[in-house]
Amino acid sequence: MSDTSSQQYADAELLYVSLTDGTIRRQPLPDDLYRKYLGGRGLGVKLLYDNLAPGIDALSPDNWLIFAVGPSTATSVPTGGRFVVITKSPATGTVFDAHAGGYLGAQLRRAGLAAVIFTGASKSPVYLWINDDQAEIRDATKVWGKTTDVTTDQLIKETDEKAQVACIGPAGENMINLAAIITDKHRAAGRGGVGAVMGSKKLKALVVRGTKNPGVANPERLREAVERARRLIKKNPVTDKSLPVYGTPVLVSVINEAGMLPTYNFQEGTFNDADGVSGEKLLERFSLKPYNCYGCPIGCGRMSRVQGRDVGGPEFESIWALGPQCGINDLEWIVTANDKCNQLGIDTISVGSTLGCAMELVQKGKLEHSLRFGDTTGILEMIEDIAHAQGLGKELGKGSKVFAESYGVPELAMQVKGLEIPAYDPRGVQGHALGYATSNRGGCHLRSYLIGPEIMGSPVLVDRDITDGKADLVILFQNLSAAMDCMVVCRFTNFAWTVDDYAAMVSANTGLEIDGNELLRIGARIWNLERLFNIREGFGKKDDTLPPRFSTPLREGGSRKRVAHIDVMLPEYYAQRGWDKDGRPTDSLLKSLDIPIER
Amino acid sequence: MVLTVEELAQTIDHTELKADAKQSKIKQLCEEALSYNFAAVCINAVHVEYAAELLKDSAVKVCSVIGFPLGATLSEVKAAETREVVKRGAHEVDMVINVGALRDENYDLVRSDIEAVVAASSDAHVKVILETGLLIDDQKRKACYLCKEAGADFVKTSTGFGPMGATPYDVRLMREAVGESMGVKAAGGIRTFKEALRLIDAGANRIGTSSGIGIIEDYRWAQYSDSWMQPDKPCWTCPSRMANIAKQPKEVYLWYKQRCLTCPDKDQNVFTD
Repeated sequence: MSDTSSQQYADAELLYVSLTDGTIRRQPLPDDLYRKYLGGRGLGVKLLYDNLAPGIDALSPDNWLIFAVGPSTATSVPTGGRFVVITKSPATGTVFDAHAGGYLGAQLRRAGLAAVIFTGASKSPVYLWINDDQAEIRDATKVWGKTTDVTTDQLIKETDEKAQVACIGPAGENMINLAAIITDKHRAAGRGGVGAVMGSKKLKALVVRGTKNPGVANPERLREAVERARRLIKKNPVTDKSLPVYGTPVLVSVINEAGMLPTYNFQEGTFNDADGVSGEKLLERFSLKPYNCYGCPIGCGRMSRVQGRDVGGPEFESIWALGPQCGINDLEWIVTANDKCNQLGIDTISVGSTLGCAMELVQKGKLEHSLRFGDTTGILEMIEDIAHAQGLGKELGKGSKVFAESYGVPELAMQVKGLEIPAYDPRGVQGHALGYATSNRGGCHLRSYLIGPEIMGSPVLVDRDITDGKADLVILFQNLSAAMDCMVVCRFTNFAWTVDDYAAMVSANTGLEIDGNELLRIGARIWNLERLFNIREGFGKKDDTLPPRFSTPLREGGSRKRVAHIDVMLPEYYAQRGWDKDGRPTDSLLKSLDIPIER
Repeated sequence: MVLTVEELAQTIDHTELKADAKQSKIKQLCEEALSYNFAAVCINAVHVEYAAELLKDSAVKVCSVIGFPLGATLSEVKAAETREVVKRGAHEVDMVINVGALRDENYDLVRSDIEAVVAASSDAHVKVILETGLLIDDQKRKACYLCKEAGADFVKTSTGFGPMGATPYDVRLMREAVGESMGVKAAGGIRTFKEALRLIDAGANRIGTSSGIGIIEDYRWAQYSDSWMQPDKPCWTCPSRMANIAKQPKEVYLWYKQRCLTCPDKDQNVFTD
């Protein structure tokens, strides 16, 4: 069925919003940009690479903050309701993209937009209200200082009951490096301090209502591809059973069993009380119902009821960060603390990891404070202090790297390039470890989720201890993830779909002839452009590494006696990437990827 | 890739043998088998007539299990069951060997049991399930010889309900025992294309699995990396690793475990993963 009244993604527009002078202009999506980078993360990275001067302060008006969607957004492609925030990160200094589910992405696309690009900074608190073709900067004084749930309710009341809101809480307003952007009250573009960039621009929220019909280039091909994609999700045990039933917390038991559940700031890999904070226990004690983002047939999200309140989450990473990482086994408290982080607009992974780091400093006599592993006393108040940059919270809000360095023990920060490492101890998974070390945005598990093949056996089980062939798999998943982030679709589809499925859908979405290899080439182009951005900022081989702790074996559990062998895998990774021995993309590689060579 | 996606699909018996399988599940199974061009659907006898109707005029065969899953019923009953499913449209039957008789070394009974099914099978192919997890190597070899003598077409590793699934080790042993004139079907616990390819490499020419769709779909990943097929730790696929005293006769369990003591790869048998 052809729909001529609908708007193709190629005809979507870029909305430039100068917060310095209040000007707003729409610009057609440049054809070259769209063809080479599709949308989402790729579009944002290209715009930042071309427009940001090297070395700018991420919290200055010189930084750009981009909200982007992609050609699959708001179409029938499952999980196509997400959005991605791209900016230079104040936490890492790298180019950065943070993703969120919920429903806002679909609204942006329905408003005819491929991206909203914020430049400059406002003098007073504002929010942007997009109502289809209309865009207006409005005063946000009344909600400045408010939590994300209150802000969301207030701004929907001020605009349209069907509008969607992405906003910051006090953490973003105070520009702390752990600040997230929250949409639908509990879905977070969490990492890298993207909320701090928003706060630096005095931008409290983006509020969007779109009613247009997003068109696709080839509806019949898309119908076939989506029908198949949905069938595969139903046939896959992870996407049809584990995630819908338990949500991501199903991983607590799995990762603990493998001896890779970081405990006491990665001093151990097994948490004795893992059962008490498991997905099974969450289901029994607090789960209210699943939460599905826009267009998602999986429904990995949770709604929980705690102390008489209905709250979002928690996800696996949040349970880990606020639980085992800090030695805490009180699931009710974890659910409450997770909600507190959402309200304040804080990244749960980084805040939990940084608190764990502080607890180890106390344990080792480097810091005098009441923080103790396993003790929840005062932590909720500390999270408040972090969000409001008060007392010790002000120091913790800079993230574990800066915090540990300031106490003379940088080795106690479990981070890569300034971003806290998530809930998988890299000593137990060589490929995943290489993914951490080479990630363009720092310690991230989603750039190349080799937990799939190395632990879960998806699509096949590969030996988690060997180093041979891991560079190859890491590159495959890094490139594919980059391409998925341009479409923009959820990472969890990856359990059910192969490269060819993504290619089939994006081809039908756009009308561009993109097969699996071409899709991976687009991903490689984005990955290399991000690498160039980071090199321009002073990053290099020295940063493709892990904290020294991961060269010391775990003593107990399913990953005992293991260390991460980055030194073995990194040369192979560089070689397979087509980079020189210092990790710089070669001219011939850039030429083959159609990336202009700048010297 | 050694096999194309289509060639791999052609080795698969798309299987649904659960007690709770409803007719809608069988319909779905048949539709998938047609869509993916699998070799056969492998089902319980009660569903044969329905599946045969759904698959008529197609290349997909209907395979019914016989004396399943224990193999401990009378030869006359196995023969009668075979006659009935063939009459209802089965092209292949997967019978379970008389395991107890084999362990008793009552080889005449084992052979006649198979012969009874072969005689009742008309033109249908007969596969004989050894349930390797209940046997030691000499018994597996003897079972293969008996199947060959009795005129069966295939030997098959496991029911999927027994103590152990298919392993490359057992498939290799069975292939060596029966030679090239018979088929070898690997079945039980096969969930990924890597496992399927390892078994085919070991000598299997048919794969029985309820994960056929996942195996075929995931096999599309293979074109993007050779690393999926990196060698595994030897213990991963060794039947001795899978031995389970709760599910196996004590002497069989100990036989498997004692092999570990003299295994050339025993130094790698350290971690639980």
